[in-house]
Amino acid sequence: MSWTMMQRHLNKLRWLVLSLVFSLLILLPFLHLYQTYEASHAYDLLSPTEKAISDSMEWLTRPFVNDPATDLNKIKGTTWSGTLFGLKVSDPLAVVGQIAAGKLVYVPFLVTALIPIIFTIIFGRIYCGWICPATFLYELNDNLTAWLRKAGVPVSRHKLDTRLKYLVLLMGVIFSALTGTIAFAAMYPPAILGREIYYAIALSGFGAGMVFFILTLFFDIMVTRRGFCRYVCPGGALYSLLGWFRVFRIKRDVTQCNDCAKCNVICQFGLDPMRDNFSQECNNCTACIAVCPTDALSFTIAIKDQSFQGAGHLGHSHRRLQG
Amino acid sequence: MKRRIFIQALISAGATSLLAENTYAVRNQPSLRFLRPPAALSEDDFLSRCIRCGKCGEACPNRCIQYFDLENGLSSMDTPYIIPRNKGCILCMKCGEACPSGAIPPVAREMHSVLKDVHMGKAVVNEELCLSFQGKTCGVCYRACPLQDVAIRVGRLEQPHVLKDCVGCGLCERSCIQIPQAIRIIPNHDRGLT
Repeated sequence: MSWTMMQRHLNKLRWLVLSLVFSLLILLPFLHLYQTYEASHAYDLLSPTEKAISDSMEWLTRPFVNDPATDLNKIKGTTWSGTLFGLKVSDPLAVVGQIAAGKLVYVPFLVTALIPIIFTIIFGRIYCGWICPATFLYELNDNLTAWLRKAGVPVSRHKLDTRLKYLVLLMGVIFSALTGTIAFAAMYPPAILGREIYYAIALSGFGAGMVFFILTLFFDIMVTRRGFCRYVCPGGALYSLLGWFRVFRIKRDVTQCNDCAKCNVICQFGLDPMRDNFSQECNNCTACIAVCPTDALSFTIAIKDQSFQGAGHLGHSHRRLQG
Repeated sequence: MKRRIFIQALISAGATSLLAENTYAVRNQPSLRFLRPPAALSEDDFLSRCIRCGKCGEACPNRCIQYFDLENGLSSMDTPYIIPRNKGCILCMKCGEACPSGAIPPVAREMHSVLKDVHMGKAVVNEELCLSFQGKTCGVCYRACPLQDVAIRVGRLEQPHVLKDCVGCGLCERSCIQIPQAIRIIPNHDRGLT
Protein backbone atom coordinates (compact mmCIF):
# COMPACT_ATOMS: atom_id res chain seq x y z
CA MET A 1 0.00 0.00 0.00
CA SER A 2 1.43 3.35 -0.99
CA TRP A 3 1.94 6.29 1.35
CA THR A 4 -0.84 8.27 -0.34
CA MET A 5 -3.24 5.39 0.22
CA MET A 6 -2.23 5.03 3.85
CA GLN A 7 -3.00 8.67 4.55
CA ARG A 8 -6.70 7.82 4.38
CA HIS A 9 -6.25 5.98 7.68
CA LEU A 10 -4.44 8.77 9.51
CA ASN A 11 -7.73 10.04 10.91
CA LYS A 12 -8.32 6.71 12.66
CA LEU A 13 -4.79 6.78 14.03
CA ARG A 14 -5.44 10.33 15.25
CA TRP A 15 -8.56 9.22 17.11
CA LEU A 16 -6.57 6.42 18.67
CA VAL A 17 -3.98 8.93 19.90
CA LEU A 18 -6.63 11.36 21.17
CA SER A 19 -8.43 8.61 23.06
CA LEU A 20 -5.16 7.33 24.47
CA VAL A 21 -4.17 10.78 25.76
CA PHE A 22 -7.61 11.33 27.25
CA SER A 23 -7.73 7.95 28.96
CA LEU A 24 -4.22 8.55 30.33
CA LEU A 25 -5.48 11.79 31.87
CA ILE A 26 -8.14 9.76 33.66
CA LEU A 27 -5.83 6.87 34.56
CA LEU A 28 -2.97 8.95 36.02
CA PRO A 29 -4.94 10.38 39.00
CA PHE A 30 -6.04 6.84 39.88
CA LEU A 31 -2.41 5.68 39.71
CA HIS A 32 -1.48 8.61 41.96
CA LEU A 33 -4.10 7.48 44.48
CA TYR A 34 -2.76 3.93 44.31
CA GLN A 35 0.75 5.25 44.98
CA THR A 36 -0.41 7.15 48.06
CA TYR A 37 -2.24 4.07 49.36
CA GLU A 38 0.96 2.09 48.91
CA ALA A 39 3.00 4.82 50.61
CA SER A 40 0.70 4.87 53.64
CA HIS A 41 0.95 1.08 54.19
CA ALA A 42 -2.68 0.97 55.30
CA TYR A 43 -4.53 -1.30 52.90
CA ASP A 44 -6.75 -2.65 55.67
CA LEU A 45 -7.90 0.84 56.58
CA LEU A 46 -9.05 1.80 53.08
CA SER A 47 -12.73 2.24 52.34
CA PRO A 48 -14.32 -0.28 49.92
CA THR A 49 -14.07 2.23 47.04
CA GLU A 50 -10.44 2.94 47.80
CA LYS A 51 -9.76 -0.79 48.00
CA ALA A 52 -11.35 -1.24 44.58
CA ILE A 53 -9.14 1.51 43.15
CA SER A 54 -6.06 0.06 44.79
CA ASP A 55 -6.80 -3.49 43.58
CA SER A 56 -7.63 -2.52 40.02
CA MET A 57 -4.58 -0.28 39.69
CA GLU A 58 -2.38 -3.00 41.12
CA TRP A 59 -3.81 -5.46 38.61
CA LEU A 60 -3.26 -2.97 35.76
CA THR A 61 0.32 -2.08 36.62
CA ARG A 62 1.67 -5.34 38.01
CA PRO A 63 3.17 -6.52 34.70
CA PHE A 64 5.16 -3.30 34.28
CA VAL A 65 6.09 -2.26 37.77
CA ASN A 66 8.23 -3.60 40.58
CA ASP A 67 7.94 -0.77 43.06
CA PRO A 68 4.85 1.41 42.48
CA ALA A 69 6.21 4.22 44.66
CA THR A 70 9.05 4.99 42.25
CA ASP A 71 8.30 3.19 38.98
CA LEU A 72 4.92 4.87 38.49
CA ASN A 73 6.59 8.29 38.66
CA LYS A 74 7.79 7.81 35.10
CA ILE A 75 4.54 9.02 33.55
CA LYS A 76 2.97 11.94 35.40
CA GLY A 77 1.12 15.16 34.87
CA THR A 78 -1.06 16.46 32.07
CA THR A 79 -0.62 17.85 28.58
CA TRP A 80 -0.08 21.28 30.15
CA SER A 81 3.08 19.96 31.75
CA GLY A 82 3.95 16.34 32.14
CA THR A 83 6.72 13.82 32.64
CA LEU A 84 7.22 11.11 30.04
CA PHE A 85 9.79 8.49 31.08
CA GLY A 86 11.79 11.06 32.97
CA LEU A 87 11.55 13.70 30.26
CA LYS A 88 9.67 16.83 31.30
CA VAL A 89 7.49 18.23 28.50
CA SER A 90 5.57 21.48 28.86
CA ASP A 91 3.16 23.45 26.76
CA PRO A 92 4.83 26.40 24.94
CA LEU A 93 1.91 28.57 26.04
CA ALA A 94 2.88 27.94 29.68
CA VAL A 95 6.38 29.21 28.91
CA VAL A 96 5.03 32.32 27.15
CA GLY A 97 2.74 32.94 30.12
CA GLN A 98 5.55 32.53 32.62
CA ILE A 99 7.86 34.87 30.73
CA ALA A 100 5.09 37.47 30.59
CA ALA A 101 4.10 37.11 34.24
CA GLY A 102 7.56 36.86 35.77
CA LYS A 103 9.32 39.10 33.24
CA LEU A 104 12.21 36.68 33.16
CA VAL A 105 13.21 33.59 31.22
CA TYR A 106 13.64 30.53 33.41
CA VAL A 107 15.79 28.37 31.14
CA PRO A 108 15.13 24.88 32.64
CA PHE A 109 11.42 25.46 32.04
CA LEU A 110 11.96 26.83 28.54
CA VAL A 111 13.90 23.67 27.70
CA THR A 112 10.92 21.48 28.61
CA ALA A 113 8.90 23.20 25.86
CA LEU A 114 11.50 22.69 23.13
CA ILE A 115 10.13 19.41 21.76
CA PRO A 116 6.58 20.77 21.33
CA ILE A 117 7.97 23.97 19.78
CA ILE A 118 10.03 22.03 17.23
CA PHE A 119 7.06 19.79 16.37
CA THR A 120 4.84 22.84 15.95
CA ILE A 121 7.33 24.56 13.66
CA ILE A 122 7.40 21.46 11.45
CA PHE A 123 3.74 20.37 11.58
CA GLY A 124 1.79 23.50 12.55
CA ARG A 125 -1.16 23.05 14.87
CA ILE A 126 -0.56 19.32 15.28
CA TYR A 127 -1.08 19.55 19.04
CA CYS A 128 -4.60 20.89 18.44
CA GLY A 129 -5.61 18.00 16.23
CA TRP A 130 -3.71 15.06 17.63
CA ILE A 131 -3.08 15.50 21.35
CA CYS A 132 -5.22 18.18 22.98
CA PRO A 133 -7.65 16.50 25.43
CA ALA A 134 -10.12 19.34 24.86
CA THR A 135 -10.16 18.57 21.12
CA PHE A 136 -11.30 15.05 22.01
CA LEU A 137 -14.37 16.48 23.75
CA TYR A 138 -14.89 19.33 21.28
CA GLU A 139 -15.04 16.91 18.36
CA LEU A 140 -17.54 14.72 20.21
CA ASN A 141 -19.42 17.93 21.00
CA ASP A 142 -19.44 18.74 17.29
CA ASN A 143 -21.06 15.37 16.58
CA LEU A 144 -23.61 16.13 19.28
CA THR A 145 -24.29 19.46 17.58
CA ALA A 146 -24.94 17.63 14.32
CA TRP A 147 -27.44 15.33 16.06
CA LEU A 148 -29.13 18.27 17.73
CA ARG A 149 -29.41 19.93 14.35
CA LYS A 150 -31.02 16.82 12.89
CA ALA A 151 -33.44 16.70 15.82
CA GLY A 152 -34.54 20.21 14.97
CA VAL A 153 -32.73 22.14 17.69
CA PRO A 154 -31.54 25.44 16.25
CA VAL A 155 -27.74 25.58 16.25
CA SER A 156 -25.85 28.41 14.64
CA ARG A 157 -22.70 28.60 12.63
CA HIS A 158 -21.76 32.24 12.68
CA LYS A 159 -18.55 33.25 11.01
CA LEU A 160 -16.24 35.35 13.13
CA ASP A 161 -12.76 36.67 12.42
CA THR A 162 -10.10 34.04 13.06
CA ARG A 163 -7.67 36.82 14.00
CA LEU A 164 -9.67 37.25 17.21
CA LYS A 165 -7.58 34.57 18.89
CA TYR A 166 -4.35 36.48 18.28
CA LEU A 167 -5.94 39.37 20.13
CA VAL A 168 -6.83 36.96 22.97
CA LEU A 169 -3.19 35.77 23.05
CA LEU A 170 -1.95 39.37 23.15
CA MET A 171 -4.45 40.36 25.86
CA GLY A 172 -3.43 37.28 27.85
CA VAL A 173 0.24 38.27 27.67
CA ILE A 174 -0.56 41.85 28.72
CA PHE A 175 -2.88 40.69 31.51
CA SER A 176 -0.25 38.21 32.78
CA ALA A 177 2.39 40.93 32.79
CA LEU A 178 0.13 43.37 34.64
CA THR A 179 -1.14 40.97 37.30
CA GLY A 180 1.97 38.84 37.70
CA THR A 181 0.01 35.60 37.37
CA ILE A 182 -0.24 33.29 34.37
CA ALA A 183 -3.66 34.14 32.99
CA PHE A 184 -3.55 31.42 30.32
CA ALA A 185 -3.76 28.68 32.95
CA ALA A 186 -7.32 29.72 33.70
CA MET A 187 -8.56 30.06 30.11
CA TYR A 188 -6.79 27.33 28.15
CA PRO A 189 -9.10 24.28 27.86
CA PRO A 190 -6.49 21.46 27.81
CA ALA A 191 -4.83 22.87 30.94
CA ILE A 192 -8.19 23.27 32.65
CA LEU A 193 -9.33 19.81 31.64
CA GLY A 194 -6.20 17.99 32.79
CA ARG A 195 -6.34 19.75 36.13
CA GLU A 196 -10.07 19.33 36.68
CA ILE A 197 -9.98 15.61 35.92
CA TYR A 198 -7.25 15.30 38.54
CA TYR A 199 -9.27 17.34 41.06
CA ALA A 200 -12.37 15.28 40.42
CA ILE A 201 -10.66 11.91 40.88
CA ALA A 202 -7.96 12.54 43.47
CA LEU A 203 -9.17 15.60 45.36
CA SER A 204 -12.48 17.15 46.30
CA GLY A 205 -14.19 17.41 42.90
CA PHE A 206 -14.57 19.73 39.94
CA GLY A 207 -13.71 23.39 40.48
CA ALA A 208 -14.53 26.67 38.76
CA GLY A 209 -12.48 25.74 35.69
CA MET A 210 -15.01 23.07 34.73
CA VAL A 211 -17.75 25.71 34.62
CA PHE A 212 -15.65 27.66 32.14
CA PHE A 213 -15.03 24.56 30.04
CA ILE A 214 -18.73 23.67 29.90
CA LEU A 215 -19.48 27.24 28.81
CA THR A 216 -17.05 26.77 25.91
CA LEU A 217 -18.96 23.63 24.90
CA PHE A 218 -22.17 25.67 24.78
CA PHE A 219 -20.34 28.38 22.84
CA ASP A 220 -19.46 25.79 20.21
CA ILE A 221 -23.05 24.56 19.99
CA MET A 222 -24.87 27.85 20.06
CA VAL A 223 -22.54 30.38 18.45
CA THR A 224 -20.20 28.77 15.97
CA ARG A 225 -18.76 25.39 15.03
CA ARG A 226 -15.57 24.59 17.02
CA GLY A 227 -15.69 28.28 17.93
CA PHE A 228 -13.36 28.20 20.90
CA CYS A 229 -10.50 26.50 19.02
CA ARG A 230 -10.89 28.68 15.95
CA TYR A 231 -11.58 32.09 17.42
CA VAL A 232 -10.62 32.23 21.09
CA CYS A 233 -7.98 29.69 22.11
CA PRO A 234 -4.68 31.45 22.93
CA GLY A 235 -2.80 28.16 22.51
CA GLY A 236 -4.22 27.73 19.03
CA ALA A 237 -3.11 31.27 18.24
CA LEU A 238 0.42 30.57 19.45
CA TYR A 239 0.69 27.36 17.43
CA SER A 240 -0.70 29.05 14.33
CA LEU A 241 2.06 31.64 14.67
CA LEU A 242 4.77 29.06 15.38
CA GLY A 243 3.60 26.93 12.48
CA TRP A 244 3.37 29.80 10.01
CA PHE A 245 6.11 28.24 7.85
CA ARG A 246 5.29 24.64 8.66
CA VAL A 247 6.81 22.07 6.32
CA PHE A 248 3.97 19.53 6.13
CA ARG A 249 0.81 20.73 4.46
CA ILE A 250 -2.23 19.05 2.99
CA LYS A 251 -2.43 19.71 -0.73
CA ARG A 252 -5.18 19.17 -3.26
CA ASP A 253 -4.31 17.34 -6.46
CA VAL A 254 -6.43 19.26 -8.95
CA THR A 255 -6.35 16.45 -11.52
CA GLN A 256 -7.97 14.05 -9.02
CA CYS A 257 -10.51 16.44 -7.48
CA ASN A 258 -14.17 16.18 -8.53
CA ASP A 259 -15.43 19.24 -6.61
CA CYS A 260 -17.74 17.15 -4.44
CA ALA A 261 -17.11 19.48 -1.44
CA LYS A 262 -17.17 16.65 1.10
CA CYS A 263 -13.91 18.01 2.50
CA ASN A 264 -15.45 21.43 3.10
CA VAL A 265 -18.40 19.89 4.91
CA ILE A 266 -16.30 17.68 7.17
CA CYS A 267 -13.72 20.35 8.07
CA GLN A 268 -14.65 21.39 11.59
CA PHE A 269 -12.39 24.42 11.35
CA GLY A 270 -14.47 25.77 8.47
CA LEU A 271 -11.56 25.77 6.02
CA ASP A 272 -11.96 25.38 2.27
CA PRO A 273 -9.83 22.43 1.08
CA MET A 274 -11.78 22.28 -2.19
CA ARG A 275 -10.41 25.68 -3.13
CA ASP A 276 -6.91 25.00 -1.77
CA ASN A 277 -7.52 27.19 1.25
CA PHE A 278 -5.96 25.56 4.33
CA SER A 279 -4.04 28.50 5.80
CA GLN A 280 -2.23 28.37 9.14
CA GLU A 281 -5.51 27.37 10.81
CA CYS A 282 -5.34 23.74 9.63
CA ASN A 283 -4.76 21.45 12.61
CA ASN A 284 -3.74 18.42 10.51
CA CYS A 285 -6.79 16.47 11.62
CA THR A 286 -6.78 14.67 8.22
CA ALA A 287 -10.58 14.27 8.22
CA CYS A 288 -10.66 15.75 4.70
CA ILE A 289 -8.11 13.20 3.47
CA ALA A 290 -10.18 10.37 4.94
CA VAL A 291 -13.44 11.57 3.42
CA CYS A 292 -12.15 12.38 -0.08
CA PRO A 293 -13.68 9.84 -2.51
CA THR A 294 -11.02 10.35 -5.19
CA ASP A 295 -7.86 10.53 -3.05
CA ALA A 296 -7.19 14.07 -4.22
CA LEU A 297 -5.89 15.29 -0.85
CA SER A 298 -2.56 14.28 0.67
CA PHE A 299 0.30 15.59 2.76
CA THR A 300 3.13 17.23 0.87
CA ILE A 301 6.30 19.02 1.87
CA ALA A 302 5.90 22.72 1.17
CA ILE A 303 6.65 25.95 3.00
CA LYS A 304 3.75 27.88 1.48
CA ASP A 305 0.15 27.05 0.71
CA GLN A 306 -0.86 26.36 -2.88
CA SER A 307 -2.90 29.18 -4.39
CA PHE A 308 -6.28 28.29 -5.91
CA GLN A 309 -5.75 25.87 -8.80
CA GLY A 310 -9.22 26.17 -10.33
CA ALA A 311 -12.01 23.64 -10.52
CA GLY A 312 -11.22 19.96 -10.05
CA HIS A 313 -10.56 18.16 -13.32
CA LEU A 314 -13.04 15.39 -12.53
CA GLY A 315 -15.81 17.88 -11.69
CA HIS A 316 -18.70 19.12 -13.83
CA SER A 317 -17.60 22.74 -14.23
CA HIS A 318 -14.13 21.85 -15.45
CA ARG A 319 -15.46 19.38 -17.99
CA ARG A 320 -18.02 21.91 -19.21
CA LEU A 321 -15.23 24.43 -19.76
CA GLN A 322 -13.24 21.84 -21.67
CA GLY A 323 -16.35 21.47 -23.88
CA MET B 1 -34.90 36.61 35.30
CA LYS B 2 -34.45 39.47 32.93
CA ARG B 3 -31.36 39.28 30.81
CA ARG B 4 -30.11 42.66 32.00
CA ILE B 5 -30.40 41.69 35.67
CA PHE B 6 -28.63 38.41 34.95
CA ILE B 7 -25.75 40.17 33.21
CA GLN B 8 -25.51 42.73 36.00
CA ALA B 9 -25.36 39.94 38.56
CA LEU B 10 -22.69 38.18 36.53
CA ILE B 11 -20.54 41.29 36.31
CA SER B 12 -20.89 42.15 39.99
CA ALA B 13 -20.07 38.55 40.97
CA GLY B 14 -16.96 38.72 38.81
CA ALA B 15 -16.00 42.08 40.31
CA THR B 16 -16.37 40.85 43.90
CA SER B 17 -14.29 37.78 43.24
CA LEU B 18 -11.59 40.02 41.78
CA LEU B 19 -11.72 42.31 44.80
CA ALA B 20 -11.76 39.49 47.32
CA GLU B 21 -8.07 38.77 47.15
CA ASN B 22 -7.17 42.18 48.51
CA THR B 23 -9.69 42.46 51.30
CA TYR B 24 -8.42 42.10 54.83
CA ALA B 25 -11.27 39.88 55.99
CA VAL B 26 -10.75 37.22 53.36
CA ARG B 27 -7.00 37.04 53.89
CA ASN B 28 -7.41 36.58 57.61
CA GLN B 29 -10.05 33.91 57.82
CA PRO B 30 -8.66 31.21 60.09
CA SER B 31 -9.26 28.52 57.47
CA LEU B 32 -7.13 30.41 54.97
CA ARG B 33 -3.99 30.37 57.09
CA PHE B 34 -2.26 28.28 54.48
CA LEU B 35 1.30 27.28 53.65
CA ARG B 36 2.80 26.93 50.21
CA PRO B 37 4.67 23.68 49.43
CA PRO B 38 8.19 23.45 50.90
CA ALA B 39 10.89 25.62 49.28
CA ALA B 40 8.29 27.57 47.26
CA LEU B 41 9.42 31.03 46.23
CA SER B 42 8.14 34.17 47.96
CA GLU B 43 4.44 34.74 47.33
CA ASP B 44 4.66 37.19 44.39
CA ASP B 45 7.42 35.25 42.63
CA PHE B 46 5.56 32.04 43.29
CA LEU B 47 2.38 33.32 41.67
CA SER B 48 4.25 34.56 38.61
CA ARG B 49 6.16 31.28 38.20
CA CYS B 50 3.51 28.68 39.01
CA ILE B 51 1.82 27.43 35.84
CA ARG B 52 -0.95 25.59 37.79
CA CYS B 53 -0.12 22.17 36.39
CA GLY B 54 -0.93 20.24 39.56
CA LYS B 55 2.18 18.07 39.45
CA CYS B 56 3.25 18.94 42.99
CA GLY B 57 0.03 17.46 44.34
CA GLU B 58 0.45 14.43 42.15
CA ALA B 59 3.94 13.91 43.53
CA CYS B 60 2.94 14.31 47.17
CA PRO B 61 2.82 10.87 48.83
CA ASN B 62 1.26 12.40 51.94
CA ARG B 63 -1.59 14.04 49.97
CA CYS B 64 -1.24 17.22 52.00
CA ILE B 65 -1.12 19.51 48.94
CA GLN B 66 -4.50 20.83 47.91
CA TYR B 67 -5.54 23.39 45.31
CA PHE B 68 -7.36 26.68 45.66
CA ASP B 69 -10.54 27.26 43.79
CA LEU B 70 -11.76 30.86 44.09
CA GLU B 71 -11.65 31.15 47.88
CA ASN B 72 -8.32 33.00 47.96
CA GLY B 73 -9.01 35.25 44.98
CA LEU B 74 -8.47 34.86 41.26
CA SER B 75 -4.69 35.15 41.33
CA SER B 76 -4.41 32.14 43.64
CA MET B 77 -6.77 30.01 41.59
CA ASP B 78 -5.47 26.45 41.09
CA THR B 79 -2.31 27.10 43.11
CA PRO B 80 -1.17 24.54 45.69
CA TYR B 81 -1.53 25.05 49.43
CA ILE B 82 -1.21 23.14 52.67
CA ILE B 83 -3.46 23.58 55.72
CA PRO B 84 -1.17 22.43 58.55
CA ARG B 85 -4.00 21.56 60.94
CA ASN B 86 -5.44 19.16 58.35
CA LYS B 87 -2.21 17.62 57.20
CA GLY B 88 1.35 18.78 57.64
CA CYS B 89 4.19 18.50 55.17
CA ILE B 90 6.51 15.54 55.73
CA LEU B 91 9.40 17.35 53.99
CA CYS B 92 9.92 14.58 51.45
CA MET B 93 10.78 17.33 48.89
CA LYS B 94 9.20 15.42 46.01
CA CYS B 95 7.10 18.40 44.93
CA GLY B 96 10.21 20.45 44.13
CA GLU B 97 11.51 17.59 42.02
CA ALA B 98 8.20 17.42 40.12
CA CYS B 99 7.73 21.17 39.62
CA PRO B 100 8.67 22.06 36.02
CA SER B 101 8.37 25.82 36.33
CA GLY B 102 10.78 26.64 39.15
CA ALA B 103 7.99 27.92 41.42
CA ILE B 104 9.07 25.17 43.83
CA PRO B 105 12.82 24.78 43.27
CA PRO B 106 14.25 21.30 43.77
CA VAL B 107 15.90 20.85 47.15
CA ALA B 108 17.79 17.75 48.28
CA ARG B 109 16.23 15.83 51.15
CA GLU B 110 19.10 16.53 53.51
CA MET B 111 19.16 18.36 56.78
CA HIS B 112 21.35 21.27 55.76
CA SER B 113 19.62 21.98 52.45
CA VAL B 114 16.15 21.73 54.01
CA LEU B 115 17.17 24.12 56.76
CA LYS B 116 18.68 26.51 54.23
CA ASP B 117 15.94 26.56 51.59
CA VAL B 118 12.63 25.72 53.28
CA HIS B 119 10.88 28.65 54.92
CA MET B 120 7.20 27.79 54.95
CA GLY B 121 6.52 29.49 58.25
CA LYS B 122 7.32 29.32 61.92
CA ALA B 123 5.60 27.54 64.79
CA VAL B 124 4.30 29.69 67.63
CA VAL B 125 3.25 28.23 70.98
CA ASN B 126 0.28 29.68 72.81
CA GLU B 127 1.29 29.11 76.44
CA GLU B 128 -2.23 29.62 77.72
CA LEU B 129 -3.52 26.72 75.65
CA CYS B 130 -0.48 24.44 75.85
CA LEU B 131 -0.96 21.53 78.26
CA SER B 132 2.70 21.41 79.29
CA PHE B 133 2.58 25.04 80.33
CA GLN B 134 -0.48 24.15 82.48
CA GLY B 135 1.54 21.53 84.34
CA LYS B 136 0.23 18.52 82.38
CA THR B 137 3.25 16.94 80.74
CA CYS B 138 2.49 16.49 77.01
CA GLY B 139 5.36 16.94 74.51
CA VAL B 140 3.39 15.64 71.52
CA CYS B 141 4.56 18.49 69.23
CA TYR B 142 8.17 17.70 70.04
CA ARG B 143 7.63 13.99 69.20
CA ALA B 144 5.94 14.94 65.91
CA CYS B 145 8.68 17.31 64.79
CA PRO B 146 10.92 15.95 62.00
CA LEU B 147 13.71 18.30 63.13
CA GLN B 148 13.82 17.56 66.86
CA ASP B 149 16.23 19.71 68.88
CA VAL B 150 16.94 21.70 65.72
CA ALA B 151 13.53 23.29 65.24
CA ILE B 152 12.03 22.67 68.65
CA ARG B 153 13.29 21.57 72.02
CA VAL B 154 11.52 20.79 75.27
CA GLY B 155 12.24 22.10 78.73
CA ARG B 156 10.75 21.33 82.12
CA LEU B 157 7.47 19.31 81.93
CA GLU B 158 8.05 18.87 78.18
CA GLN B 159 7.30 22.55 77.61
CA PRO B 160 7.99 23.24 73.88
CA HIS B 161 10.32 26.01 72.81
CA VAL B 162 10.48 26.74 69.08
CA LEU B 163 13.98 27.50 67.85
CA LYS B 164 14.94 29.82 65.01
CA ASP B 165 15.56 26.93 62.57
CA CYS B 166 11.89 25.86 62.49
CA VAL B 167 10.90 25.52 58.80
CA GLY B 168 7.15 25.49 59.40
CA CYS B 169 6.20 22.05 58.08
CA GLY B 170 3.13 21.97 60.31
CA LEU B 171 3.46 18.45 61.71
CA CYS B 172 3.37 19.86 65.27
CA GLU B 173 0.16 21.78 64.63
CA ARG B 174 -1.36 18.70 63.04
CA SER B 175 -0.47 16.54 66.05
CA CYS B 176 -1.41 18.96 68.85
CA ILE B 177 -4.06 17.27 71.00
CA GLN B 178 -5.53 20.54 72.28
CA ILE B 179 -8.62 22.01 70.64
CA PRO B 180 -8.04 24.71 69.58
CA GLN B 181 -4.44 23.82 68.89
CA ALA B 182 -1.82 25.36 71.19
CA ILE B 183 0.90 25.42 68.54
CA ARG B 184 0.30 27.06 65.16
CA ILE B 185 2.36 27.78 62.09
CA ILE B 186 2.50 31.45 61.14
CA PRO B 187 3.11 31.36 57.38
CA ASN B 188 6.07 33.16 55.86
CA HIS B 189 4.94 35.22 52.93
CA ASP B 190 8.45 36.33 52.08
CA ARG B 191 9.70 32.74 52.26
CA GLY B 192 12.02 31.36 49.63
CA LEU B 193 15.65 31.05 48.71
CA THR B 194 17.71 33.69 50.46
